[in-house]
Amino acid sequence: MEYIIITIGFALTIFGLYGILSQKNMIKIIIGFSLFTTGINIVMVAIGFIRGGTAPILDEAGKEIGKYVDPLPQALVLTSIVIGLGVTALMLAYVMKLYQDKKSLNINDYKDLKW
Amino acid sequence: MGKKTMIALITLALAFVIYPLYQSYNGSETLKDVGQYYIDNGVEETGAQNLVTSVVVTYRGLDTLGEVTILFLAASVISFFLSFSKNDRIKSRSIRSVTEILTTSTQVLVPMIFMFGVYIFVNGHLTPGGGFQGGAVIASGIILMFLSNPRFKLSHKVIQFVESTSGIVFVLIGAAGALMMDGDFLSNKIPGFGFGEVGSIISAGAIPVIYTFLGLKVGAELSNVLGVFVESQSEK
Amino acid sequence: MVGPIYIIAIALGLAFFLGFFGKSLKDVSAFLMLAGLAFMTFISGQWLLAFFNGSVTTQEIFTAGFRPPYSINLRMGYEEAVMTTMINVIGFLGGVYMFKRLKEVGNSAMSVFIVLIMSLNVIVMTRDLFNLFVFVEIGSIATAGMIILEKNSKSLQAGLKYLMATGVISGLLLIGIIFAYYFAGSLNIDGIITAHVGVTKAGAVAVFLIIAVLVLELKPFPANGWGLDVYQSAKPGFGAIVSAATATAGLYVLYKVLPMGGETWYPYIVLIGLITFVGSNLVGTRQKDANRLLGYSSIGQIGLVMTVIGLQPILGSKFSFIAFALLLNHYLAKAGLFWLSGIIKKEKISDWYVLRKNKALLILFVIFIFALIGFPPFPSFFGKYELIMSLVSTENIWIAVLILLGSFAEGIYMFKWLGDVLKDEDQTEESLNISWNKFIPIVIVGVSLLAAGFYSTPYVEGAHYFYFIPLGFIVFMGLIDFLPAYVKNTLSIAGMTYYSYIIYPLVEGDLMRTIFFVIFMIGGILTLIVGYNKKGKREGFYPVALMMYAGLATILTSDSMFGFFFGWELMTAGSYFLIIRGKRSKPHAYSYMLFSVAGAYLILLGFAFAYTSAGTQDLIALKDIAVYTTLAYTLLAVGFMTKTASLGLHIWLPGAHGEAESDVSPMVSAILLKAGVFGLMLLFLYMGQQTGETLLFVLGWVGAFTALVGNLAAVFQEDAKRLLAYSSIGQLGYILFAIAMMTQLGWLAGFTYVINHFLFKAILFIVVGGIVVRTGTHNLYQMGGLLKKMPFSFVAVLIGIITLAGIPPLSGFAGKWLFYNAVVLKGWYIQGVIVFFAGSIAFMYAFKLIHSIFLGQLKDNHRNIKELSPAILIPAYILIGGIIYFSAYPQNVLEPIGNMLSAYFPATVDWSGDGLATTVLSYWNGNAVLIIIVTTFILVLAYLKLITGKTTKLEQFNIAYSAERPFRPETTHVSYNMFAGLNKAIGFLIAPGITRFWKNISDMVLDLAGFIRRLYSGNGQVYAVHIIIYIVIFYFISLG
Repeated sequence: MEYIIITIGFALTIFGLYGILSQKNMIKIIIGFSLFTTGINIVMVAIGFIRGGTAPILDEAGKEIGKYVDPLPQALVLTSIVIGLGVTALMLAYVMKLYQDKKSLNINDYKDLKW
Repeated sequence: MGKKTMIALITLALAFVIYPLYQSYNGSETLKDVGQYYIDNGVEETGAQNLVTSVVVTYRGLDTLGEVTILFLAASVISFFLSFSKNDRIKSRSIRSVTEILTTSTQVLVPMIFMFGVYIFVNGHLTPGGGFQGGAVIASGIILMFLSNPRFKLSHKVIQFVESTSGIVFVLIGAAGALMMDGDFLSNKIPGFGFGEVGSIISAGAIPVIYTFLGLKVGAELSNVLGVFVESQSEK
Repeated sequence: MVGPIYIIAIALGLAFFLGFFGKSLKDVSAFLMLAGLAFMTFISGQWLLAFFNGSVTTQEIFTAGFRPPYSINLRMGYEEAVMTTMINVIGFLGGVYMFKRLKEVGNSAMSVFIVLIMSLNVIVMTRDLFNLFVFVEIGSIATAGMIILEKNSKSLQAGLKYLMATGVISGLLLIGIIFAYYFAGSLNIDGIITAHVGVTKAGAVAVFLIIAVLVLELKPFPANGWGLDVYQSAKPGFGAIVSAATATAGLYVLYKVLPMGGETWYPYIVLIGLITFVGSNLVGTRQKDANRLLGYSSIGQIGLVMTVIGLQPILGSKFSFIAFALLLNHYLAKAGLFWLSGIIKKEKISDWYVLRKNKALLILFVIFIFALIGFPPFPSFFGKYELIMSLVSTENIWIAVLILLGSFAEGIYMFKWLGDVLKDEDQTEESLNISWNKFIPIVIVGVSLLAAGFYSTPYVEGAHYFYFIPLGFIVFMGLIDFLPAYVKNTLSIAGMTYYSYIIYPLVEGDLMRTIFFVIFMIGGILTLIVGYNKKGKREGFYPVALMMYAGLATILTSDSMFGFFFGWELMTAGSYFLIIRGKRSKPHAYSYMLFSVAGAYLILLGFAFAYTSAGTQDLIALKDIAVYTTLAYTLLAVGFMTKTASLGLHIWLPGAHGEAESDVSPMVSAILLKAGVFGLMLLFLYMGQQTGETLLFVLGWVGAFTALVGNLAAVFQEDAKRLLAYSSIGQLGYILFAIAMMTQLGWLAGFTYVINHFLFKAILFIVVGGIVVRTGTHNLYQMGGLLKKMPFSFVAVLIGIITLAGIPPLSGFAGKWLFYNAVVLKGWYIQGVIVFFAGSIAFMYAFKLIHSIFLGQLKDNHRNIKELSPAILIPAYILIGGIIYFSAYPQNVLEPIGNMLSAYFPATVDWSGDGLATTVLSYWNGNAVLIIIVTTFILVLAYLKLITGKTTKLEQFNIAYSAERPFRPETTHVSYNMFAGLNKAIGFLIAPGITRFWKNISDMVLDLAGFIRRLYSGNGQVYAVHIIIYIVIFYFISLG
């Protein structure tokens, strides 16, 4: 089970990265970023996984099983998701503003600064 | 060799670089020391039965403060655009008509969504969920309101008031720990907030209070971002 | 004491609080922002003070009431206190600077700014990896926001590129962090360090990802296009924050995380740092946009500090000082330059001449540039000196060489820029609009740079506070620059006289130093007297002239290599400013500076070898350098020869001396060149004949050819001052040749030439310079017939050229006599013939000079010309007095020198009591020669006067053109192309091959830079690809 999760996580990360590097449409690039960060988040969750463990909530149901997954990576994932959200929102805002300027979503059209 | 092939090769090279990490992963039977410590002592030390919450709000409270700050920053930076684009914004923007189903269901759903959001962050120390999740649910209600009424305008004053107040409360609670608890910033063991009985709503010291304000803050910030996005649209 | 945690509490509380104000009360919120930043500065500052006093020890700050690794902890130690104070100070000053703009955008901008500064504080203090990640992200997002304070499409693009780049690298950081947790079971940096996760392959990859990402945050060359765009497009006020504060935090994080990987990672950091430092500065040479140029320079300087961080295991106890000096220097200078850019508001560096409208800003600009290149008295000078010494003494010579190369590349564009600022035609009427909130931060960082240099002194072996005394006087002279020239002239002369009086005991008893003392100090005072001739204020002249003399005095009096180098660089800086004062001096001052900087670096390397060999900074270390002996002495010799303008390294001299102001030419020619000679003499004495045999032989040839080419080129000059300048090259060639013989006679000849050249070149440049000003032309063919108008000048020039040409009875002949004796005894016949030939050529230009100016026909426009002013003639005649004395009683000077030299060389000349010098070949008595020749001359003159009593005078226009009007009238002047025949015969010898050689080299460098910078295609996606490639390559180098 955990192998499937971490494989998916890494695969998403790499595919996301490929999207970031290869797509010309800036919206698609941002989607690439979403995939990329999601993949990493999945990897983080997988790292905290313990075979046979349950959610680290120590209520009656949890205590019955008595074995929990690591709460720390889950807390980190929460933070990481929010950070990803902030970055994505910001990127979208920039792209939107750029689009209003030049009416193009192609990243090749935004090379005013170079050398 | 095409450009895409080259990029694919480069990406594969990076995959090769991180492959040893993947290879070394073989699941875990037992917890790390840190994880085990939380399981063993977390409830006792923080009073919260949801250990993820106790890690998020207390043990790693500084991260959470940073997290809130990131949302706050994103909202602030996006609001620069508003102040920039005030002059060149085109007032008349074409608005699609909205179906009856959407408007009606919005009226029914939005209060429920809000209530659900509040439920999530108030119970953050007991059940899965917490301030961020609750805030996000609240913001989803706001999206619905935007969808059902494109002319809907958020009151920036209200949003900013909620945002600022909850932010300041968070910082103040943190600072209260530093002042009263011998320099422990963000401690949840500050006088006036008892631990109560583990598993009940009034427990876990300052955690529910922090999570409530976090929920409000996140909800306000996400809504703010949405609002600015909608407002600074200028379709010709 | 207020706990560091309140930095976070105050900043965030304030940021959230500002939201209450909405769009109103911007003044209040701006004030609150500044108060908050001030309070943050106060918190970190009080900790710094406490650590400085030793009253506290490193504090761990726990959060949430638990201990690490279960919760996040911060650390406040000495290092953290320093870094956070630096960040907060620049944050506060930056807040003051950007005050208006922030207010304009609104409260949210102020919140973002204060949060940014806070996040940098936490990045420095936190000991938790994931917390580090969170606050790095806060920093990135805040930065992306601040970029678009400059509201245009370019800054938006830069912001997006920046977000993309940091998005990719922070994702990889996260992978690294989570696996570090997986392997170490802790997120605490100290916990991971003790867990040694790097021992397994996968653990090493996790550590690699973390380190690689933190390196990438520092924008290493060439994966840094996104960073450059930020520098270029953001408000310069914010560029200052990125360059100074963000980089400080980033460098510190790298420093604190590196131990996670263990010793093996340090060399890679050195490599990356070096590539960044050299590469970024190289590409910078092609840059025309001021802010982007500052970006290249920033990235380069950060690379340098990164190198030093990687060198930590090698540098040992010196690490802290070197790293801090270089970091602080970059931090202050770059903040200052960016802030200046915000005032100038000019994109192109060639438009920066508007800076001249404000003297204070101009001086600050100069301070920043010189600090960046590493001139004294700035901290980078101390830091770089120690760095090179440590590197060479630990056998890391190539690193030292690359660092010097990078510094030189930085010099290429920085001095280009400086030249543009100082000399470009002012094309606009617009005035600079400077508000106080922008001005004061720049002044603060400028003054801090000077102070930081002063306080670097105790950390460097061989450095003394004593060196700062003349600098204090220079600052004083700068402050009273508004006074008229004659007042400042008097003060300068008084100051120099007093300083000479103070330092005389230091040279007393050392004859060689005493001679140079007379040349440098007395000569300096005499040339200053000429300055009474100048009217008006002469703004900026006195501080720089005194700086040169202070440098010369320091060279002379220092007992350590460090002191020598300090003086050497001070002299270079002063003379550069003197030279660039000339009207058309820009390109010449530029090439002078580049040759000087390169030469200084060679000297520095040579000193480092000496230090390695002897283990001491004392000058005695130069004796018998045991490691890389030949290389070390060659480096030193070539370094000194850049100042003596020996063949190959001379191309800067004619322009620099020829175009300089009339009283600057004698300063830089008669006096400054002797600094190089002093260096060479010192070097040769320490080196000794045996060790340097081959080198000396080569230098002898170089000297001979320098003499030939210099003199030959002088002959073909039409410009009076350039003629004298080329003549200097030739004369310095004689000196080099003479002392390279390494015999007592050779050195006596060398000293005689040194003294003579000082005397006659000062006379000639003073007088000819005065004449050039009077006649309004440099060209000899536009002068003539001035004999009757300027008889005193004529006599002065006559005596000057008699000495120059080595004609009896004046002391020039003494030089020649010693010289020929020396050549014959040494057996360097072929070279001797070349020098002899060069000497006969000297007659030609000497004749050309005096003939063209004083004889022939008076030009129409010179009919009302007057004799030169006493301010010019008095120093000239004092110098003539010197020549006469030296000619009449050479033994009074030469005999003690000979005795001194006999300590080093076998005695070959004998002084029998009454001034008769005898060698195995011949004998000579200066006194007798003078008396005989003067008597003969008077007799002949009287006879001629007697028999020519009835001559008719020729009228001015009593010539015919054969009814033809010449196509170019100047070609009819006797002086024009005077030695055409000679030119036809051997003119090829001075074909501008050497100039072309240097031109080709500089073209190659620029082409290379142009080629490399095509990497920066401007596409944000390409930059992301660069980052991935960088990581992959870094991986294969380090772990693959």
